[in-house]
Amino acid sequence: MPDNSTELLKGTLDLLILRTLALEPMHGLGISDRIRQITGGVFVVKPGSLFPALHRLEEKGWLDSRWGETEANRKAKFYRITESGKKQLEQEKQNWLRVLTAVNQVIEQES
Amino acid sequence: MRLLRQARNTLRLLFRRHRLEDELDAEVRGCFETLVERKIASGLTPNMARREARLEFDSVEQIKQSVRDSRSGASLDFLAHDLFHGVRSLRKNPGFSIVALLTLALGIGVNAALFSVFYSVLLRPLPYDRPQELGLIWTTFEKLGASRAPTSGVVWNELRQRSKLLKEVAAIWVGSGTFTVGGQAEQVKLGFVTTNFLSTLGVNALHGRVFTLDENAGGRLAVVLSNAFWHSRFGGDPSVIGRAVRLNGGPVTVVGIMPEHFELHFPRDSNVPNQVQAFLAFPNRLERAPRTLYYLRLLARTQAGARALQVQSELNSIAAELRQAYPEYAAENMRFEYVPLHADAVRELRPALVALFAGAGLVLLICCVNIANLLLTRANQRRREFAVRSAIGASQGRVLRQLLAESAVLSLVGAGLGVLLGHFGLQLLRAWQPAHLTRIADASIAWPVLLFIAVIVVACATIFGLTPVFEWRRRNLADTLRESGRGALTPVRRRLRAALITAEITLGLILLIGAGLMIQTLANLRSVRPGYEPTQLLTFSVELPGARYPGDKQRLQFFDNWERALTAIPGVESVGGISHLPLDDYPNWYGSYRVEGIPAESSKALLADHRAVTAGFLPAMGARLIEGRFFTPQDRESGMQVAIVDSVLARTTWPGKSPVGQRIEFEHYDNGRFVPRWAEVVGVVENLRHHGLTTPARGQIFVPYPQSSRPHLSFAVRTTLDPSSLAEPIRAALRQLDPEVAASRFQPMTVYVERALGPAGFSALLSGVFAALALALAAVGVYGVVSYSVSQRFSEMGLRAALGASASDIQRTVLGEGVRMSIAGIVLGVIGSLAVSRYFEALVYGITVLDAPTYLVSVIVVLAAALAGCWIPARKAASANPADALRAD
Repeated sequence: MPDNSTELLKGTLDLLILRTLALEPMHGLGISDRIRQITGGVFVVKPGSLFPALHRLEEKGWLDSRWGETEANRKAKFYRITESGKKQLEQEKQNWLRVLTAVNQVIEQES
Repeated sequence: MRLLRQARNTLRLLFRRHRLEDELDAEVRGCFETLVERKIASGLTPNMARREARLEFDSVEQIKQSVRDSRSGASLDFLAHDLFHGVRSLRKNPGFSIVALLTLALGIGVNAALFSVFYSVLLRPLPYDRPQELGLIWTTFEKLGASRAPTSGVVWNELRQRSKLLKEVAAIWVGSGTFTVGGQAEQVKLGFVTTNFLSTLGVNALHGRVFTLDENAGGRLAVVLSNAFWHSRFGGDPSVIGRAVRLNGGPVTVVGIMPEHFELHFPRDSNVPNQVQAFLAFPNRLERAPRTLYYLRLLARTQAGARALQVQSELNSIAAELRQAYPEYAAENMRFEYVPLHADAVRELRPALVALFAGAGLVLLICCVNIANLLLTRANQRRREFAVRSAIGASQGRVLRQLLAESAVLSLVGAGLGVLLGHFGLQLLRAWQPAHLTRIADASIAWPVLLFIAVIVVACATIFGLTPVFEWRRRNLADTLRESGRGALTPVRRRLRAALITAEITLGLILLIGAGLMIQTLANLRSVRPGYEPTQLLTFSVELPGARYPGDKQRLQFFDNWERALTAIPGVESVGGISHLPLDDYPNWYGSYRVEGIPAESSKALLADHRAVTAGFLPAMGARLIEGRFFTPQDRESGMQVAIVDSVLARTTWPGKSPVGQRIEFEHYDNGRFVPRWAEVVGVVENLRHHGLTTPARGQIFVPYPQSSRPHLSFAVRTTLDPSSLAEPIRAALRQLDPEVAASRFQPMTVYVERALGPAGFSALLSGVFAALALALAAVGVYGVVSYSVSQRFSEMGLRAALGASASDIQRTVLGEGVRMSIAGIVLGVIGSLAVSRYFEALVYGITVLDAPTYLVSVIVVLAAALAGCWIPARKAASANPADALRAD
């Protein structure tokens, strides 16, 4: 996979995670379920990408976490978006829209 | 804020690693198990569910690793791993590691210890208030050709009043005095000072106070005691303040106790010792003393910011004014010389310490060269290893990191050992306590410098440790792999290594020549005959309390009885007394003399050291009579005035003529006053070395004690017994004669001689150690290079042997290589030594700095060390079995 697409994906993943957690706190598997559900199966986030991303966002202070119990009574780590995470989400949204607009313009010009 | 968080995360990673790991494991594993449960719930068997989940899920361990990598402290984790690898790789090659570590440790250790001495003696500010403002004022009598001379009370007073740049001018003269405490008399060094002396130094009393400005102007005399004396005689009891004690037979009041570490730091020729047991403010008005009684050593404190040059120019104009005002000073063409106190106090120590410091620096350089050499050899050996590793996919960065880690481990351990070595080295030097370096007693490792040295060595290790990487950029990987195992040296590297060996030999030779000169200087000083026979001689001094022995008559009476009592002690062969014991630090007395038949004004005035001796002194000391006779008990105060002169004075005053029967005029001490008097020379003795063992600067005049008596006498007792064992019987005899008179400083004469040898011994020992280290390091360096080159050419040697070269031919070839490498170094070393030799001038005695035998022997020794380095590889090469050697490839 070329580097630039990873970059893009990584940014997108952050946005998706933050957006998902803006609704309610969730544990890892829940987040990946929700993303699959919302995107209609377009994005399947594998644990190998999800967990590093979660830990990275937590280190940056955009998420915090707490141990809790899942619906199946299993111990799991629940992630919650923080205030600065919400600000970050806004920013990521703006960025994404800007990129989207720009890319759209390019596509429209071509056609 | 972000930084703070990052720091917290890193710290958490470092210190709460286990908990983090456990949590991570629980989280990832829990997620996996949930997935499995879901699959089971949807109807799969547990086994099937597990397999499917595993397909969907990446491996738990892999996930954990990628989480770890994404953490901010991850690089530290790598570092730990690399360091571990570094340690392992060094342990795999113990020969290399031990030599490299020892080299690093020696370089750092030697420099750390020596620089700490250098710093504590030469650079560390004196322990006084604003010490940079303190200076000494020496008097120069141009007409007499005498410089660095003491001065008179009148001059002290005039300087104090006339100078604007000097805030304070104080004076000191250290004599001795006798305290009587609890019926026990003890003689101590007594510092006679002006009332402002201690306050000029800016040191306060620990208990009580220092002198007030009008102290001792009337009423009872006041003294300030040193901390050590207060402890030894008054048990450290603070209530002694304000109490009266007996000094020199009269009552004085103790007004203060000095702090524990208070010491005086004056140059040796000021005759102001480091330790003075008590200070007494001059009881007389100094400015009323005779104008030409020169004995005061002047200490000055300048106004803040005044520079030495400004002070000097002000003193020049004051000197001119004084020459105008006082005819005596005009006649002697008196001038002043201002020198900062610290610089002057270490003036005699500086050259040797600087030379030793430079020597330690050379050792450090050699160490760096050796390290570079070792690492280059190692890099060459590992070229294939790195080529293989990069072929199987190690990134360049990763290999670089590993090499860095190896260098770091080597440097850190080496530096650690070096600090340890430096610490012990310094302890050793401190324990040795060379008398001329009193300030090293509280020397500690000079950390900033240690750091600096460590950085140099570590940088060296790092740069040369990375050579395989530089190599990479130039070379093709495939070529390296294709090379037959141990590829030959590249030309660049071969030249670099030859240059390193040359440098080592050069530096080693310079050190060796320096050490050779120092060691011969010590040997020369040891073999000097000081003008007397110091073995089997006990010395001590006696000061008669002025209150009980006010006049010449009483003093004569006492000393006559005393010498008789001494002679009666069993084991005593002969005794005698002198006003100034050779090599002692009692203030020297010197002055001018006039020779009969030479008009006073027509020739340059003559200076000599003056000594009063009892009749027995010169024979008891073992002085050699060159001509005429010794004094006899018949040379009394009333008889003919006589004198004995030494060989130096005889030679300069009456060249080619016999001094016996000639008459000279000089000052005699007569009931407390100095009066010029004529005396006839009756004998000539060999010069008694007084200021040091090297060639004396001035001649000496001896006068019979009865004709110039003074309250202080040092005695020499020649004995057949162990000299120290006589101290007790002598004390007992003195107590019997007069319990208020004390004898002090019982010391065999050999102690004085050894102390005089101290500086030369210190230089010789240290430079010898440096040279030995340099030689060993150079030999190791040569060994490394030659043995490597032999291993490279093993097949060539085998081929030669196969073609008929004998073992000794091959051995010669290898040795020849070593010699060739050394020659350039030897040539450069000789040139270098010649270039720096003039800095050694002041440090050698009895030998010239260009001494050809020293050079020759040093060259031979260096060559021998280089050959010794070649010897083992040469033997190995010679033993090459042609078949084995050829098959090796």
